[in-house]
Amino acid sequence: MKNTVAICVLVAAMLAGGCGKPSADERVNVASGVGSDTLMNNIILRPVAKAFSALIGEGIEVQQTTLRTNDEGFLELQVSGYNRSYSIRRFDYIVEWVDKDGMVLPSKTNVWQPMSVQPKSKFSILSIAPRAEAVDFRMNTRKQPK
Amino acid sequence: MKHTAIMIISAIAMIVLAGCRKPTTNIDMTNDEGKPVIALDYRDFDKAATAMVESLMRSGVLKKKDGSRYVVATGRIINDTMQRIDTDQLMAKVEQEMMNSGQVVMTSAVGGRGATDVMIDEMRNIRDSAQAEEFAGQTLPEKGQLVAPELSMSGKIIQRNIRYDKDTEQIEYYFQLQLTEIASGLRFWQEEKIIGKRGDRRNVSW
Repeated sequence: MKNTVAICVLVAAMLAGGCGKPSADERVNVASGVGSDTLMNNIILRPVAKAFSALIGEGIEVQQTTLRTNDEGFLELQVSGYNRSYSIRRFDYIVEWVDKDGMVLPSKTNVWQPMSVQPKSKFSILSIAPRAEAVDFRMNTRKQPK
Repeated sequence: MKHTAIMIISAIAMIVLAGCRKPTTNIDMTNDEGKPVIALDYRDFDKAATAMVESLMRSGVLKKKDGSRYVVATGRIINDTMQRIDTDQLMAKVEQEMMNSGQVVMTSAVGGRGATDVMIDEMRNIRDSAQAEEFAGQTLPEKGQLVAPELSMSGKIIQRNIRYDKDTEQIEYYFQLQLTEIASGLRFWQEEKIIGKRGDRRNVSW
């Protein structure tokens, strides 16, 4: 009887503890192992989730691209996304800017740039057009050469 | 008989040794998938220059109030690394992008290492010498024609070697640039880009 009560109290405590989100503000990301364990993210389930994530091949997801013209008349680009995997994702990206005729504007900044994103975290890539003639962009990514 | 055998063995040895040589290949500069190297290579300069240019463009300091273009000179760029680096590897890209942006014009008349084009001084020396008689007078540069720079770009490349563990060395490269208004001495912009590498201690980084 005493054991049953103790187990119930323990489960209740785990549930109560597990209900609390590591961050009350979604703009603040509390990494796994930094915040408190939850019912779905704890020392037992975490390795399973990681293995499952790797199995289904979770990775980078681009969620939004924002273009704006700054005060100097140059286009600025922000590519926002999310790393769905449980591991740090490192990749290279390259941004090319095109003019109104669709011609690529040659630039010394058209080079592969490295990017590194924490697991289960949002990221942003910023770029700026090299000339005021740019009206659009195109971007490519690749796995970083080892 | 013995002499012939030695000749054949020598010939075979030479063929085998020649076959062991690595063939020369061209680097795919656009999609180079080569391994990183412990010293600074062109990819590092590309990354540093791009970060610098994007930061400078984003800062908005190159926009002149009257709509005209700033005249910019490249001042001293110090190579404080253990490698023999021509700092133009960095600055040529930065200067090119600054000019292509249409916001600035670079001057070749003055710079941290003197005029970047010796002919500017050379033609003035000729003008002031007896040699001037050999040239049509109106084709020689007149006095008071050079345009003084309004902004100066200066900077430094720093290297720090740190022992990471028994076999590994960590090398940090700091690329620092700053843009200063010459008349007022005020610094309009500055940026730092760090590139770090870890490798075998036996690898030499110079």
